[in-house]
Amino acid sequence: MPPVRPTMKHSALGALILAILVVTQVRAEEIVVIVNPAAAPISKEQLADLYLARSSALIPIDQAAGSAIYVEFYKQATGRDSAQIKAIWARILFTGRGVPPKQLPDSEAVKKAVAANPKAVGYIEKSAVDASVKVALPLN
Amino acid sequence: MKCQRKSAIVATALALGTIAAHGAPAIDEYVTFSGFGTLGAAHSDYSLADFTGNGSQPNGAGYSRSWSPTLDSDLGVQANLTLTDALSGVVQVLSRDDEDGNFKPAVEWANLKYQITSDLAVRLGRIVLPTYGDSDIRNVGYALPWVRVPIEITYTSTATNADGLDVLYRVKTGPVTQNLQLQWGTATEDLPGAAFTSNRVHVVLFEDTLQYGDASVHLTYQRCDPLRFPPAQLVLVDAGFTYDPGAWFVTADSNHTHDTYFGDLISGYISGGVRVGRFAPYTFYSAAHAQSAGTSELKSLGEQHTVGAGVRWDFAKNLDFKLQVERVTIDTVDDPAAFSNLQPGVRIGDKANVLSLALDFVF
Repeated sequence: MPPVRPTMKHSALGALILAILVVTQVRAEEIVVIVNPAAAPISKEQLADLYLARSSALIPIDQAAGSAIYVEFYKQATGRDSAQIKAIWARILFTGRGVPPKQLPDSEAVKKAVAANPKAVGYIEKSAVDASVKVALPLN
Repeated sequence: MKCQRKSAIVATALALGTIAAHGAPAIDEYVTFSGFGTLGAAHSDYSLADFTGNGSQPNGAGYSRSWSPTLDSDLGVQANLTLTDALSGVVQVLSRDDEDGNFKPAVEWANLKYQITSDLAVRLGRIVLPTYGDSDIRNVGYALPWVRVPIEITYTSTATNADGLDVLYRVKTGPVTQNLQLQWGTATEDLPGAAFTSNRVHVVLFEDTLQYGDASVHLTYQRCDPLRFPPAQLVLVDAGFTYDPGAWFVTADSNHTHDTYFGDLISGYISGGVRVGRFAPYTFYSAAHAQSAGTSELKSLGEQHTVGAGVRWDFAKNLDFKLQVERVTIDTVDDPAAFSNLQPGVRIGDKANVLSLALDFVF
């Protein structure tokens, strides 16, 4: 029996699978912090301060608690997991010092909110960025 | 006095409700409800006194019963109202075992906050009194690393809120943020050793908190002047720090109380812990020591020290479970900080081993 040689079809399929894996891997990690186009850039320290209730210079916006992008964002921006974040905001809420960030259902809603308010800051997938918002900080 | 206070709070709540209803097409944008609670059970093997969760509780574990579900259990419900960009309000109702010996819900806070600038705000009404580093969240188990705030530190001042006015000012100097608070009002203190005799006091409080990255330091000065017996003026200075980079933490708090009637007391705690996945084990040491007697000539009120350790498990969203063990050494027979119902036979040097279980939740 002649040896099976890789055909064009096999290579193309393999390349496609590899491409999908690479693309989905990259998409899951690429989160960017967005602000209103009229707003100033922010540093990583300022970002952590905003989302850890240490600063109210800007209005932070969250995505749904526990969602993949929420967990990934807090891990990269603050080094803390969901339970720690919840406890920090519970302290702020139940001591009357403020309220936790508003949670919006998806990146489209976050973009709309940030575009509408010069003091808002949020996070979305890099692929969702468009001209209505400005990228303040990539996270990786 | 109690009647007048209650109707003032009800009037504020009604007024807030009316304003919100007229202003808003969608009420949930203006009013948000949240809450917290703990289901706890504690066991003490020392049968000559009750181990209690705070200085106001009349009963606990040990003498009255071996296991007590009332020490740490509580439920709080809170309504946050956003009336305009600058005006907000909060009402919190808390139910826990307190000096009345039952879980009667009480209005813990009801105040309006006006944000004058982004750094300056003023509040009016019943406001939380942040005497100690953690006193403002002592009822919110979910926000604490331990089952309860180490009791020695909160022994000298049981008031958790004051009716009056406060001013909050935030100053940012480079990477350091400073939060200043000045508060005036009247509060209710329960006297040590006579937990059921409430005393109305005038209180003035000043607090300064410095925050730099994951570190924060606070300094609090509080002065209470009683409106009735006993003629005890209380001046309290509290200082503490916390360093919490996320994977581990260390925190300490200390206070010196000068009370003209009950004497001088110094107390404090130090605690540290790490975070391993969903588990956060911790350890702590706390102590209370009487320095001198006041006009009451009671020389050693509150004295005790505690060594403890425990673990917190964040097993599900908005829930955590804690297991804590501690060994408390009684250093006085005059009202050791964590105990009530002392029986004849209590001796200096006696030890109580306490096991506490707690389920905390927020919603």
